[in-house]
Amino acid sequence: MSGTHNDHGHPHEHGHHHREPESTLSLRVRALESLLVEKKLVASDAVDRIVSAYEQDIGPHNGAKVVARAWVDPRYRERLLADGSAAIEELGFGGVDLQVVANAPGVHNLVVCTLCSCYPHALIGLPPVWYKSFEYRSRAVREPRVVLREFGVDLPETTEIRIWDSSAELRYLVLPERPTGTEQLGEAELAKLVTRDAMIGVALVKPPASAPR
Amino acid sequence: MEPVPSREIADMAGAAALPRKNGELVFDEAWQGRIFGMTVAMSHEASFEWREFQAQLIAEIAHAEREGESTSYYERWLHAFERLLADKGLLDAGALAERTRDFESGRRDDVF
Amino acid sequence: MNGIHDMGGMHGFGRVNREENEPVFHARWEGRVMGISRACSVQKIFNIDESRHAIERMEPVEYLRSSYYERWLDRNVRLLVEKGVITREELERRMAQLAAGTDPAPPHSDPKLADRMMQVTQERTPYRQPGPAPRFANGDRVLTRHDAPVGHTRLPRYARGKPGVIVRVHGTFIFPDTNAHGQGEQPHALYSVRFDGAVLWGVSAEPRAPVHVDLWERYLEPAAPTRSTR
Repeated sequence: MSGTHNDHGHPHEHGHHHREPESTLSLRVRALESLLVEKKLVASDAVDRIVSAYEQDIGPHNGAKVVARAWVDPRYRERLLADGSAAIEELGFGGVDLQVVANAPGVHNLVVCTLCSCYPHALIGLPPVWYKSFEYRSRAVREPRVVLREFGVDLPETTEIRIWDSSAELRYLVLPERPTGTEQLGEAELAKLVTRDAMIGVALVKPPASAPR
Repeated sequence: MEPVPSREIADMAGAAALPRKNGELVFDEAWQGRIFGMTVAMSHEASFEWREFQAQLIAEIAHAEREGESTSYYERWLHAFERLLADKGLLDAGALAERTRDFESGRRDDVF
Repeated sequence: MNGIHDMGGMHGFGRVNREENEPVFHARWEGRVMGISRACSVQKIFNIDESRHAIERMEPVEYLRSSYYERWLDRNVRLLVEKGVITREELERRMAQLAAGTDPAPPHSDPKLADRMMQVTQERTPYRQPGPAPRFANGDRVLTRHDAPVGHTRLPRYARGKPGVIVRVHGTFIFPDTNAHGQGEQPHALYSVRFDGAVLWGVSAEPRAPVHVDLWERYLEPAAPTRSTR
């Protein structure tokens, strides 16, 4: 499974640590589920279903479709920027009070939640561990340019980096710039280029390797 | 006589939180204030612990939410209160039903 | 509260560690914790503000030692115990039973609960509620409050007592500071407020790196006009 045998209080290869051994955590959660099932406040099949939804159906590919639509349809883009929640409903998505912030020449957006881990999970799935990490939460607001460089994004000094600290129930999605050389691509192919990282703001969308320069 | 809710009662959060407007308790109808008062008074008299009622209220709300019921907060409170009293053997369901019919039919008018 | 969770701007945490192609859940128990949380949430056993505050109430050392879903587990147990739904003793007993190979819980299926839990990923969120007309408008200069509330708040410490500019009026939303403590939803105006990096971090701030925070009206006062606002 995780490949590490020392899991008590030490950082894992997956970059997070636990205060208790996995085996104890697993047992405690099973016990909690068992008690709540007995009290009829939880049903195991209901838990199965939501877990499966986040493992398979709800993920960055959904947000990518929204981005691709905004790239090909300027009026959709306007609607998306004006009312994110309504615009994503047009594509069959929902469950989030969405604010979309657009990258542009000279403007780059970066999303964080310093207080906990707020994230548009209904649209792009559950957040990665690094987004919820103390490192990201503490540093993204204060030294975004350094953090972005660590992510491999080197922006000109003249670019304004707008940081959005998701402190309320609005959730932020970055609308990345469409890469050059993609004019021939259809919406579905464009969506394939859009990564989770680009929609959080820690990456730019790369043109496909075969795109003309 | 207005029973004064303790901190424990006033601070219930989640869906069990007492309905308020600008911080003040809200009773849309007189019966809601009566059932609130009755529950508080009985817990003061140690017929049950407030935590027992709170757990019952939470279970009642959870059930209503699962079933998609549009019942109001105090309707759920009333169900929880009745259930608690029945569980404690303090109230007989049959007696309650009969007394309800007495009021509905007009055979009874006074609470005492 | 001035809790350990309020870490915007803290020094000392080092490089962001990334795992390539990480799984959604790193262990089965994490998914179960998420599902249990969702079940409790749709049945309104606790509200989101209460649930955030419960995590904030962890001992700071425990908070820092715990992984994300460990904090969720801690929160779930803490709130369920505080609300009298379970006791810690019951939980320990059930752990012992399961470790010994028996599970007394009769199997229980609830498709309606599953539907409700799934609906959350589709329906509009319930946090926008009618409230009083906003006091501020786009472009208004504001000053955030300087106090240190003991309870739950969503004004980060780094943005206290700072001048900023309203860049968006979002509408009226349930107020976490009261909703977390059973003091009612008290919905009112929420704004996007923009702060210059230098205002927040001083001379060491990166240039051209403004921070936008979503803040409720009760966190804000009109800023005194300065020469630069003429």
